[in-house]
Amino acid sequence: MTQITRRQTLKGAAATVGVTLFGGLGSIRPASAATEVTAVEWGGDVVNAMKKIEENQDKVQINWVLHQGGSGAILPKIKATWPNAEYDYVAGWEGSFNGMIKEDWLVPVTVDTVPNLADIPQKIIVKNANGDWMAVPRAIGGIYFAYRKDISPIELKSIDDLFDPSLKGKICWPGPTQSMMLQIVALALHAGGNEHNTDPGWALMKKLAETGNIGRVGVTDTDFTTSLTSGETVGGFYSEPQLTAVAKSFPVERLTKNEGLPVFLYQSGFAIFKNRPNLEATLQFVNHSISPEMSSVYAEIAGEAPLNVKAKTPDSLKHLAFTPEEMDKYVYVPDFNEVLNQQDAWTKRWENEIAPLL
Amino acid sequence: MKPDRSSLPLLFPAAAVFLGFFFLPLAGLLVESFRLYTPGSIGSSADAPLTLGNYTELKTPAFAEFFFETMRISFLTSIAGLVFALPLAHWMTRRLPSRWRVIAVGFFVTLMFLSVLVRTYALELTFGAAGPLRPILLSLGISPNGRGYIEVLVGAGLLHYIVPMATLTLLGTIQNVDPRLFDAAQSLGAPGWKAHLTITLPLSMRGLLAAFLFAFTFSISAFVIPMILGKGRVLFISNLIYNRFSETANYPSGAAISIVLFVVALAIVYVISRQVNKRWQP
Repeated sequence: MTQITRRQTLKGAAATVGVTLFGGLGSIRPASAATEVTAVEWGGDVVNAMKKIEENQDKVQINWVLHQGGSGAILPKIKATWPNAEYDYVAGWEGSFNGMIKEDWLVPVTVDTVPNLADIPQKIIVKNANGDWMAVPRAIGGIYFAYRKDISPIELKSIDDLFDPSLKGKICWPGPTQSMMLQIVALALHAGGNEHNTDPGWALMKKLAETGNIGRVGVTDTDFTTSLTSGETVGGFYSEPQLTAVAKSFPVERLTKNEGLPVFLYQSGFAIFKNRPNLEATLQFVNHSISPEMSSVYAEIAGEAPLNVKAKTPDSLKHLAFTPEEMDKYVYVPDFNEVLNQQDAWTKRWENEIAPLL
Repeated sequence: MKPDRSSLPLLFPAAAVFLGFFFLPLAGLLVESFRLYTPGSIGSSADAPLTLGNYTELKTPAFAEFFFETMRISFLTSIAGLVFALPLAHWMTRRLPSRWRVIAVGFFVTLMFLSVLVRTYALELTFGAAGPLRPILLSLGISPNGRGYIEVLVGAGLLHYIVPMATLTLLGTIQNVDPRLFDAAQSLGAPGWKAHLTITLPLSMRGLLAAFLFAFTFSISAFVIPMILGKGRVLFISNLIYNRFSETANYPSGAAISIVLFVVALAIVYVISRQVNKRWQP
């Protein structure tokens, strides 16, 4: 019988360690000069655009993390681990930035730290109570009504058309946590109200729910995209990224310049966290991302219009280019503070008054 | 029988895990449910005053309806699951050769470990509004976007888990029913169905209760299945809880709903167990 001695065991172990260590050395590559940064981004075309932007520089290497659910879904995760949250920047919009500012998580930005901000209209930059710039805008997108021309039984021209019986089960409508509930503001505007007086909008929403025309209530971006792509529904109220992919393959009519169908604009951008060690590298990458060239790349791939005044707006985003007259006529700029403060109350109102009718 | 005190230390690791990962977080949730929430903030602040408001705001007909809907679909699906699982477990135990029984058990165990997302999307793609069965549904006058159909689809998603889980639970139950009792009933002239109703079913009742409770508690806490198959129209309480925590960051309200769901689920489990135990004493 072969006996294994302690000496043999130790020799075997030493040999194994040696092979592992020295064998492994062969595969060790020279250390990369790039600084690693962890970024939270939207999936699909947005992260594809950001990866392309990453490829165009070599100073920062990004560890991509994707949003799961709405832009607010990341907030509890950050709060639970703060100040040890491991995100250098989080892509978001006014809604999520507002919450982050209230929690005092963000580092203020200036033209000194992000020089390309000089080419971004200052009016649009999100500020805190002291007027400090708290996020870096990169693009604007729209939230508006749209439909697929090839399968819609009717031509959508006004909000009243949503009640047409031929659209039974054919409308995809945003759920209570989507689009900042601007869909209710849109209905309110149609019925003579606004974001401060949404009662007319809720009354109209109830009527719409009762028609049975809402076939799907979208709770994630994918819901909207797949529902419209598959033909399950033919139209509804969408935010820009939900339509970008669909519009590449199907004739999507974006109703951004129709009287009576309001368009809302939102900015997407970067919130930079102050607890992270690689702040300088993050600022450098963000600055690179909003340069004129990279803004154009982003617009082309992600389908959001560039905010950098020196960047080129692709033809596919002409529906988001407004003359000053068109801006007055079609675009509604709500009081975002009111909209954001009402999110909780509106969500509950949806659950109490609308959900039982669907 | 009194527990042997010398074996008590064996319980400490499990007790520590439960204390650290179940009771403490639950206590935190309970405290959070009494905190005042300021709209626009993320959760409650550490010095937020205590309030009953998060509970009183749930006293609405709409919220009661969410609860009722969750309970109704879960209850009906659990019963349907048992209707499928009991004959299946009986067949596997009594009719299947032992070699095939092992394969069948392995199959059901594998089914339980299949990704919930994969199964749910498979159902959505096949039976959804754009699935290949759409023309058949429409020709039968069934609207794939109709409320009733969506509820059935959510139920089907839950059955994917309930049937294997209940079948595996009932295997031991059926095995413990003495087959000679069934044979005796038949030899005395009872038809097969009557022998099953009067012998197999009553003797399996406690196992059926266990399987039902597994199925029911799984169903009322289901999240992904109603989220995907419910099309945002059939919402379970878990979906409301998720919205509160992850979308509007109103942790106190989410915590209050969670506590209510927890208490209601415990009460239902207690009442059903008590009734079944009273009616069918071992």
